[in-house]
Amino acid sequence: MNQGTKIAIGLGLPALILVIPTDIFPLEGITVVEQRVVSIFLLAALFWILEPIPIYATSLLIIFLELVMVSNKGLNVLIKDENMGTLLSYKDIMYTFASPIIILFLGGFFLAMAATKFRLDQNLARVLLRPFGTNPRWVMLGLMLITAVFSMFMSNTATTAMMLSILTPVLASFRDGDPGKLAFTLAIPVAANVGGIGTPIGTPPNAVALKYLTGDYMVSFGEWMGFAVPFVVILLLIGWFVLMSFYKIATPAIQLEVKGSFLKNRKAYIVYVTFILTILLWLTDFIHGMNAYIVAMIPVAVFSSFGIITRQDLKNISWDVLWLVSGGIALGYALDSSGLASRLINAIPFASLSPIIVVLAVSLVAALMANFMSNTATANLLLPLIAVLGTSISSLSDIGGGMMVILCTTIACSMGMALPISTPPNALAFGTGLLTTKDMARPGILIAVIGLLLTYGLMIIMNAIGFF
Amino acid sequence: MDRLYIVCVDDQREVLNALADDLEILNAHVEVEICESASEAKTLIEEIDANGDLLAVVISDQVMPGTSGVDFLTQLKEDGRFPKTLKILLTGLATHEDTIQAINEAGLDQYIEKPWSQEDLVIKIKKLLTLYVLRSGLDYQSFIQVLDQTTLYEGLRART
Repeated sequence: MNQGTKIAIGLGLPALILVIPTDIFPLEGITVVEQRVVSIFLLAALFWILEPIPIYATSLLIIFLELVMVSNKGLNVLIKDENMGTLLSYKDIMYTFASPIIILFLGGFFLAMAATKFRLDQNLARVLLRPFGTNPRWVMLGLMLITAVFSMFMSNTATTAMMLSILTPVLASFRDGDPGKLAFTLAIPVAANVGGIGTPIGTPPNAVALKYLTGDYMVSFGEWMGFAVPFVVILLLIGWFVLMSFYKIATPAIQLEVKGSFLKNRKAYIVYVTFILTILLWLTDFIHGMNAYIVAMIPVAVFSSFGIITRQDLKNISWDVLWLVSGGIALGYALDSSGLASRLINAIPFASLSPIIVVLAVSLVAALMANFMSNTATANLLLPLIAVLGTSISSLSDIGGGMMVILCTTIACSMGMALPISTPPNALAFGTGLLTTKDMARPGILIAVIGLLLTYGLMIIMNAIGFF
Repeated sequence: MDRLYIVCVDDQREVLNALADDLEILNAHVEVEICESASEAKTLIEEIDANGDLLAVVISDQVMPGTSGVDFLTQLKEDGRFPKTLKILLTGLATHEDTIQAINEAGLDQYIEKPWSQEDLVIKIKKLLTLYVLRSGLDYQSFIQVLDQTTLYEGLRART
């Protein structure tokens, strides 16, 4: 399909929705505003799936369309009718650019950037890899654990890039045709993808989930890590076994060499202290009362003030990732504030659905979609709907309620890792030219399926201990 | 999508053909163009620029009738429209002064001596292409097959 066709479909179908008169719309009592939100939602889905334009551009388009078509300061001819429903506040739509969730991510970006700039990541990798010796199996486990830990605080892509750059020179010392090369090359993206689940800032789908984890569903940074880190560790160990059984390592010993030593200058010490302090404060909100969003401003303020992150460095911030999330938040906001969400709850007989089938279905859909499109875009599309579903199916409350479905779907979004196009880490591993799509997909699918089963297990345990 | 161009300039047809052959493996992702003189290259570059396509790498011989390679590359640098374009001097006959001028005035990125080996040439070009893709903020994933992985990792590490 060429770009023109994709755009035609992406604009055409939503336009069709717009011209259906509200009284024959298959959702009783729908207002004009709500109908437009349906149309924008469909446009978002088509654009994120077909990708005729970059995914962050779709997010910006969503925000723009909401402002023009359904906000209280929109284009006057579009919003002059008095009985068109509840118009959204334009300020609230624009505010998604600076939502606390975005600031939390920005804080994470500052930490990651400073860590890379002052070689903290590389030096930590060097020190942490040492105990794993030279036995390839243990070295691979070490690489996976370190990759996972880093990707909890750095982007999965940057972590993969760093770890692959450590790994690449070593791959050359492997025996010719050793399948172990495949195991090692795949270990990095698997660990990066899985590791992202570990913290709220580990990967953007988690951030999107935070929008719906407020009020009764509130999850603190520490609570998130409390359930997610053990999950990550177990899935990593399984991934390690899976990769080793698929690709037997023939090389008897390998030597990973990471050069460098810890920087010992004033700025470097400020980075180390701020890094540790921020993480400690994230974990101890119950003592000091500052939530994760406010703590995220610490690295932003400190690193800017001390010239650790300079004007030039600001250019390296992935604004596209932040804005991609903003678009998702804006989509959820529109669904909620227009009244469409509650109308869907009342109109569709969700209550008659079996809660277990609902959870299985949505998590499978999420994992499947995430394999073919961006994990974040998947979360952007599904989570607003899941949040509606979660509050409307009362029978869900026995197995954890809305909060459980949201967490389950969020984790499922990170299970999209079977194909080179699934995630940027996979693309980077594929770019080494050492593996085929099939080499990646076989263990990838198995790990994702086990990951989903493990997610259900986690949900059952969390429900049993009364987390939800 | 905007196309990436590699422009090769040499007055000897055989050299150009050899270059085109060696760089054929990049063809799926970048356009490799050959020009027999600096003036022909300038016309082509104008065309590329006018179409909104991207001039990623220029490979030039030094000793050519008319404008020399170093002068051509210097003009390209002074032009100001192609600050991200990477420049290679491919020559067997550059004098000491030529080389100094190429580095200081033309902002040369690579110096390749004739005769070259295909392997070495492709590695160098891939490195420069990667730098171009990163500097221009292009979507690296769509070019990943023709990028130098190590250079790509370096570039991506600095991003959040």
